[in-house]
Amino acid sequence: MIEFDVSTDAHGIGVIAPRGRLTMVSAKQLREAIDGLVGAGTAKIVVDLAGTTFLDSSGLGALIAGVKTTRQAGGDLRIARPTEAVTTVLKLTNLDRVLRPRDSVEAAFDV
Amino acid sequence: MSEDDAESQPGPGVVRLTVPAEPAALDVAQDALARLWERTGLEPGLALRFETGLVEITANVIEHSFDPDHPGRAFTLAVEVADDAVRAELSDNGQPATIDLSAVALPEDDAESGRGLAIAQATLDELTYEHTGGLNVWRLSCRRPPG
Repeated sequence: MIEFDVSTDAHGIGVIAPRGRLTMVSAKQLREAIDGLVGAGTAKIVVDLAGTTFLDSSGLGALIAGVKTTRQAGGDLRIARPTEAVTTVLKLTNLDRVLRPRDSVEAAFDV
Repeated sequence: MSEDDAESQPGPGVVRLTVPAEPAALDVAQDALARLWERTGLEPGLALRFETGLVEITANVIEHSFDPDHPGRAFTLAVEVADDAVRAELSDNGQPATIDLSAVALPEDDAESGRGLAIAQATLDELTYEHTGGLNVWRLSCRRPPG
């Protein structure tokens, strides 16, 4: 039900694009994708949420874990292009302050 | 999923399914909801709000209602789109839940879990739980605007 595209761009920034529902069914896969990038030396990660049609508290937990993991490695995790479903949950939980949505994947680490 | 899945449609605005209580059941439930929203034309914003709450309660049931080694674990979900509201009843024969719905709050920002019930309470207009007849029964609803 979900696919993760994982890549590293020309600036060494990791990009993970979950496509489908990010829920308790798939949150572990996201954690593993983040851990895999950080373990390989990529501590700056953008999660591109343009194709993420649904987010639950387990998916949120995986994103928060990713923020901690990347920061401990000297980087950060940022989110880009959230869908309305994702934005709704971020606002409900006040996590739009911690996970501030960026307008594009390319500019997610500009500021 | 498996052949244990049982989904029925007593009417166009109703779906009822009994599925094994394991994480993959959440996908089965959300697939059934997507078809229900399409059949009934429920307002997308309302459908999202209701589904967000229902997914949290369903995930809670899957994670917490059962002894992990208990065989034959299953839960039943019934959802109805009526003129005045969209409602769900979720029942399982697992362990009684030990939660106090009057004391649900969001955890610290850096917490990796513990937000499910707070999200459900924020998105749903009604959320009740009772343990009755040996079953955990959750009832959820969102009101529909008149007209």
